[in-house]
Amino acid sequence: MSTAFAHPVTIGIVAATVGVVALAAAIIALLSVTGRVSPALRRELWLRTGSWAVLLPLMLGPVLIGRVTTIIAVTILGLLCLREYDRATGLFRDVVVAATVALGIVAVNWASLDQWYGFFMALMPLTVVLLAVVTIPLDSPDGYIQRIGLGIVAYMLFGASLAHLGYMSNDPNYRPIVLMLLTTVAINDVFAFTFGKLIGGPKLLPATSPNKTISGAVGALCGTSILVALIASQIFGGTPVGHPVLLLLLGAIVSIGGQCGDLMLSSIKRDLGIKDMGVVIPGHGGVLDRFNSLLLVAPATFHYLRYLDAIAPA
Amino acid sequence: MSEWRFRPARDHGLTLAERVQSYDRERGLGSLITSGAWRLLCRLYLRVVHRLSITGMEHLPPPPFVMVANHSSHLDALTLASSLPWSSGRKAFALAAGDTFFTSTPASVFAAYAVNALPVWRKKTKPQDLDDMRRRLTDDGGVLILFPEGTRTRDGTMARFRPGVGSLVAGRPIPVVPCWIEGAFAAWPATAKFPRPGPLRLIIGEPLLFTETAQDRAGMVAIAEACEAAVRGLAPKR
Repeated sequence: MSTAFAHPVTIGIVAATVGVVALAAAIIALLSVTGRVSPALRRELWLRTGSWAVLLPLMLGPVLIGRVTTIIAVTILGLLCLREYDRATGLFRDVVVAATVALGIVAVNWASLDQWYGFFMALMPLTVVLLAVVTIPLDSPDGYIQRIGLGIVAYMLFGASLAHLGYMSNDPNYRPIVLMLLTTVAINDVFAFTFGKLIGGPKLLPATSPNKTISGAVGALCGTSILVALIASQIFGGTPVGHPVLLLLLGAIVSIGGQCGDLMLSSIKRDLGIKDMGVVIPGHGGVLDRFNSLLLVAPATFHYLRYLDAIAPA
Repeated sequence: MSEWRFRPARDHGLTLAERVQSYDRERGLGSLITSGAWRLLCRLYLRVVHRLSITGMEHLPPPPFVMVANHSSHLDALTLASSLPWSSGRKAFALAAGDTFFTSTPASVFAAYAVNALPVWRKKTKPQDLDDMRRRLTDDGGVLILFPEGTRTRDGTMARFRPGVGSLVAGRPIPVVPCWIEGAFAAWPATAKFPRPGPLRLIIGEPLLFTETAQDRAGMVAIAEACEAAVRGLAPKR
């Protein structure tokens, strides 16, 4: 317990998330009592808040407990994302490719558990090569490029990229950093929604995602950059990384990475002609609908922080 | 280059509870691993406890095909499913009474993931359900395990085959493989709660084809009769 909450930022983030969910529940309860919202909206609000109340302990708990649980949680998250992607795209019908990607996800997370940075990185080309050759013995070249393409995208996103989140936990001081990424990526979505609603204006990419506005994107970029810089200054203050420009840049990476991840999933869904990737999380949709923003943020922030020597090398 | 051939799962957007009962269900990696392990476990159990012996494996065609057999025990479906080689076993699905095997979500998840069963609701089968089943056979290259008697025998004698099997294969290039299971009634009759150790024998007959049979009532009845006769013909002489 004392190690889990050793850093004040950890305490702050956990307290803030518990507070926000409690506040949301209180507001919804108040609105329900005064009868100011329709029953349908009330149900939707409860569903979303309830989902968060289940999701947050599942997200923050493993990070607080330790390195091993963090990496296991990232592995499970990667496999759940793969499952949804497989079923939405139809890749699950190619059992060999789907199994190879799953194997790659397990392998890359094992490398991060083993703190074997060389293998962690090598798995990128190795898995791609394995995917490229593994269906050749089936002697069915029909659709070869399609299944390999789908398989490589799946491994790169849910294996190689997402596993960076787990690898970060090999740093002794990982808790506040990982918690900051997990929470600010979600707040980035909230900023985009709120600024978009408040300011309005032209749409960002109407064919990809009809509800997103330019004002929302810029608002989120500014809001998240400042928020991340503020939290990160408490983590990296007094070190060379503590320079305000570097911290704002970290925030910008979180915001841009998060929004790009969101738009990437929107593009996939538009192309497939489906609304949600799944139905696992009531009020949110699938696992990917919730965690899409993390996919690009994890590797981008990892390598930025490593470049600045802000997290320990392997 | 070929057209883009990937499509979302037919059951995309269904919740777990809806999915496990749906005829649109398609299996992914998790389901294949679970049912593979279950079949392996069943095979081990049948070999060790019931000393299962199988003859006629060479008669099994490549999927799709329908396996029909006499029905006297819960062991029957396990025997047929676990005797199949991996290539067709992973494509096997069975029909199971909805009011016995799909009464709760955990039970349905087991039936769907381990056995790959589809629920049949007595007296509620719609023509659409038969179309879905046919699609599972032809489009997915499936193997349907079917007991055309409709229910387990209560006295050990085989009942008449119902004509439903005919509507799946009449005028189509889907072979029907007749099978006889010997010993299952003694080992685990419908009246017993648990199975007793006792020898089991599975006899697999030569596949029947009904490509030329008319897709009408008379054709269906003729197919049911032919299948029934083929299954009876496999029974060991007493």
